[in-house]
Amino acid sequence: MKIKEANAGALTNSEVLDFLRSRGASKDPTRVIVAIAPSEFKVYDYLLESPACNQTKEQVNEFLTRCKSYKLAKAEVLNIINLRPSALVEIHPIIEESEERFGEKLEELVNLVVEVLPEPPKKNDVPEEENNEVKEDTADGKSTDEDKTETANLEQTDEDQTKQKEDGEQMEVS
Amino acid sequence: MFYLSLIEHTLRLPPHLLHLPLDEALKTELETLFIDKVIANLGLCISVYDIRSIKGGFVFAGDGASTYTVEFRLLVFRPFTGEVIIAKLKESDANGLRLSLGFFDDIYVPVDQMPNPSRFEAVPNMRNQGRWIWDFGEEEEQSDEPRFVIDGADLIKFRVQNVIYPSIPLEQPENSKPFAPMVITGTLNHDGLGPVSWWEEAEIVEDES
Repeated sequence: MKIKEANAGALTNSEVLDFLRSRGASKDPTRVIVAIAPSEFKVYDYLLESPACNQTKEQVNEFLTRCKSYKLAKAEVLNIINLRPSALVEIHPIIEESEERFGEKLEELVNLVVEVLPEPPKKNDVPEEENNEVKEDTADGKSTDEDKTETANLEQTDEDQTKQKEDGEQMEVS
Repeated sequence: MFYLSLIEHTLRLPPHLLHLPLDEALKTELETLFIDKVIANLGLCISVYDIRSIKGGFVFAGDGASTYTVEFRLLVFRPFTGEVIIAKLKESDANGLRLSLGFFDDIYVPVDQMPNPSRFEAVPNMRNQGRWIWDFGEEEEQSDEPRFVIDGADLIKFRVQNVIYPSIPLEQPENSKPFAPMVITGTLNHDGLGPVSWWEEAEIVEDES
């Protein structure tokens, strides 16, 4: 076995999630039938719980173009996309020497993240019906806030996807 | 966290798979060979991403199977130093924490990488298990429950210090932990790291001030 290129490209969590989905991974009980190994399913489960689960390619690309002005290292951009920090304190461990490089611009960066990348679904211990309601409220709130129709359309397709997933979950439970 | 690696490998395709389309059969073989295995300095192989080229197909004398040289890309899990990852608590003892990602469990946070200052509170009956508490700030004892506890309640953010690939030991004493081919050492000693709930409170405080 020869390693030709150890690093042929970094992937964000959302890209890995899309790849696994295209191979047929999903939450519902058809798991035994698709040609995906149990260990791949563990990765899929982990990614579903991360902030990457409702990111789309367009959102990631938009973030990449818009953060060019901040001159972030590739590792930092990857970290930000995977973690989706929504507060200054969350972005602190990601960016080195943030005081020298950014100072006040750090808040702009956080605002950019919150604006472009979708909010990860909240983890609650409440039963699933309440979960549905919470998600629909936040999703509706977001679509009215957004002026850009493109992103609103994207978020609605995300909503549909997440609703389908929720239905899948309910099927499992019942 | 995830990278693509271009690998070239020569493998033998067992005869019972010859009725399948070639790329499917090779993909299945590669998956059996690589998935869920650790390659040193490359990482944990998650999946076969795609097959770039297939060469060969020679049948060697005395063998019923054909041999192919395949160039393909593997999706590997290889965190880089400085990456911040969200994980769940798996074990907590006097030496530090052990975190888990579901598909990968060998993440250790040793005592010296815990947020400073921290102390360990052992569970009364069990000597080694217990929970870690971060003594942050000079608040008087408001209640019995300290504010910053690391328990299994929520997700923990840690930053990767380094990733090592220990070599396979020749002999292992009995009752020792199973050999871990890839070990990640993490740190919690920074703003924003540690259980997520610690910093959600901080967010609210920031907004008010």
